[in-house]
Amino acid sequence: MTDLKQRVKEMIIDRLKLEGMTPDQIEDQAPLFGEGLGLDSIDALELVLGIEQVFGVKIEDEASGTQAFRSVEALTAFIAEHRKA
Amino acid sequence: MTDIAGHLPHRYPFLLVDRILEREPGVRVVAEKLVTAGEPHLQGHFPDRPLVPGVLLLEMLAQAAGFLEADSLHGRAVFLAAIQDARFKAPALPGDRLRLEVALEGTFGGLMKVRGTATCEGREVCTASLMVKRS
Repeated sequence: MTDLKQRVKEMIIDRLKLEGMTPDQIEDQAPLFGEGLGLDSIDALELVLGIEQVFGVKIEDEASGTQAFRSVEALTAFIAEHRKA
Repeated sequence: MTDIAGHLPHRYPFLLVDRILEREPGVRVVAEKLVTAGEPHLQGHFPDRPLVPGVLLLEMLAQAAGFLEADSLHGRAVFLAAIQDARFKAPALPGDRLRLEVALEGTFGGLMKVRGTATCEGREVCTASLMVKRS
């Protein structure tokens, strides 16, 4: 799980081109949108595509997105849960 | 034959798609735009050397992307939300028949992302990823 969380952070940095940012600088509990990382709806679509490409997990609707994008921790749990399904 | 004016709200001089060649809503669209010397934006860009402004090539791809939607866009707001990795590789000139290909990469939260390529007789004119907001 810790390893997956690290890969999720790397995917976020890579996909959103957060240059100069390291995985350590992203807090597990911080919200991805609004406060916290301060991402917007354009970043959300980028992340949806990145998650599908890197982890093979689809976020089909906004309800799952709202749940998955609460924090890195929530996103990691979402990916872990849906990866093998 | 796709009814272009029935699908897009754009009108002269800003309707930049002439014909739809292939269309699979939600997947892929191939459209065509014929460049002519009489177009208003070519009068000043440039007087001695008319060539299509790069931003209009992006607009052509965005309008082609509008046909990924199954339903007419009349009465709906559609905006360009993001342009990524745009490259202009060759000039588009009067007389060129531009082939505009767009493929859907994904959708989420009312946004769709497409990969677009404009070519002329096999040579790449412009490539870009676009995000379009739908409501």
